[in-house]
Amino acid sequence: MLDWGKVAFFWAEVAQNFTRNVAMALTAIGTIAISIVLLGVFLFLRASFDTVMKSVVGQVVIAAYLRDDLKQPAIHHLTAMLQADPRVDSVRFVSKKRAMMNLRQRLRGQMNLNVINTNPLPNTIVVHPVDPANVPPLAAEIKRQPGVDIVNYGSGVTEKLLRAEAVFSAVGLSIIVMLLIATSLIMYNTIRLTVFARQREIRIMQLVGATRWTVRWPFVFEGVLTGAIGALIGIAALFAAYRSLVPKLAVNVPFVPFSMSSVPVQHLALELVVVGILVGMLSSMLSVSRYLQTA
Amino acid sequence: MIVFRDVSLVYPNGVHALSDVSLSITRGDFMFLVGSTGQGKTSLLKCINREVRPTEGEITVEGQSLAELRAGDIPFLRRKVGVVFQDFKLLHQKTVWENVAYALQVTGAGSRDVLRRVPRTLELVGIAHKSKMFPQELSGGEQQRAAIARALVNHPLILLCDEPTGNLDPETSSEIMALLARINAKGTTMLVATHNQAVVDRMRKRVVRLVNGRITRDEERGRYHVGLG
Ligand SMILES: Nc1ncnc2c1ncn2[C@@H]1O[C@H](COP(=O)(O)OP(=O)(O)OP(=O)(O)O)[C@@H](O)[C@H]1O
Ligand SMILES: [Mg+2]
Repeated sequence: MLDWGKVAFFWAEVAQNFTRNVAMALTAIGTIAISIVLLGVFLFLRASFDTVMKSVVGQVVIAAYLRDDLKQPAIHHLTAMLQADPRVDSVRFVSKKRAMMNLRQRLRGQMNLNVINTNPLPNTIVVHPVDPANVPPLAAEIKRQPGVDIVNYGSGVTEKLLRAEAVFSAVGLSIIVMLLIATSLIMYNTIRLTVFARQREIRIMQLVGATRWTVRWPFVFEGVLTGAIGALIGIAALFAAYRSLVPKLAVNVPFVPFSMSSVPVQHLALELVVVGILVGMLSSMLSVSRYLQTA
Repeated sequence: MIVFRDVSLVYPNGVHALSDVSLSITRGDFMFLVGSTGQGKTSLLKCINREVRPTEGEITVEGQSLAELRAGDIPFLRRKVGVVFQDFKLLHQKTVWENVAYALQVTGAGSRDVLRRVPRTLELVGIAHKSKMFPQELSGGEQQRAAIARALVNHPLILLCDEPTGNLDPETSSEIMALLARINAKGTTMLVATHNQAVVDRMRKRVVRLVNGRITRDEERGRYHVGLG
């Protein structure tokens, strides 16, 4: 059964610890807020970079140029076969005629194409892959199909892009992990100091008959609150910065094929709150346990 | 019932605080522990609430051997054994009221119990009018009363008082001792460590003297010094 007297006691303890150690509580909250800002900036940069990389690499398509003697049913067959491939996202057929029209459209006013009366452009199948990493093997397979003349996917460039993406993502991840460890240690040490300052109190509580968990619970909950409040303040600061910086960034770096809205900021914010709460809670728990008498 | 059997205590720094102490205190007894400074009075009391573990010998409290206590059992021993610490050990972050209430709340007492017993106990030791103050705002004697109230509020079976009159004038001292005698009369076993000769001589209770960690005298209806009438 839930004992309201105990719940009230527990809350009163948490509230007292906050209101009667204001300077200490604020220091811990501030430290966590700063750590969260630091972590948040890096998470955001990494997510942005990922988005840019994805959108660059995502533009890679395979163009299969068909021989003119490949008849309509054979083309249909090839298209259907590619469409059925699980590695393929979508397939688009561009006929000779269509290709010529596109070209005329693009060059309108710059060059008069009426001077050529044959159409040198081939029928083309444009394949969008699900995962850019599949492009080279897929292209090689398409090339082996009968009636396929040339396959073009910007080979070389694509491979380099793919390799760069893998390297950047590994480097980014290790930076994040190191940063996470560093900020966790900073948060842990700050909270440990606040608990250290109260070791006399912890000792007395035990001397008057408090069990270890009776002493521990309010501290653990305080850690959760400190972490949550610190994280929320940090996130508020990050959002303010994001709001004011994003429009300027979009203007100044127009060539970046990148829209800020595609960075999952809500998701990042949630991650930061979770980090704040977890680190706050574990730090408090570990710190109290160091000062609890066990024998 | 408290029994010491050949108890010795050597602190980690090598100080022999207690040597071969054997002692038996019946339930409901009133006993003075006397001896000049540094002779081991506080150390002996600390053994009973398991603040320290003797290096040798055995202690039982109410039939329970303290050596066999597991960490999880210690809080329950301490709820049976109230302690008025020589240095009070009040929580600075809490008011007098909250300090006293805390000792009750950790036992799982409901708020109705707390609201009933805390004011009554504060009244009993004569400090109800300072209940909203913090320990730092009290005089030494007032802190001592707050410490006594905290030790009493649980109705412990045993009360250990380490210099409970150390900061009090003679009149207040007798008042406090009268209070302890009343509590003892209701059945609480009372151990009082003190240098206060006047108090000991007036009460004529059992007196145990410690010299250098050894019991040198154990006398019913004793006085502070031997052979003075
Ligand atoms: N935690 C400790 N670590 C090491 N030595 C200690 C510790 N506590 C006490 N002592 C030593 O043990 C001896 C007995 O100390 P204790 O506090 O029991 O004396 P006491 O009789 O209570 O003295 P007082 O009348 O001054 O309170 C002293 O020599 C003291 O220095
Ligand atoms: Mg002492």
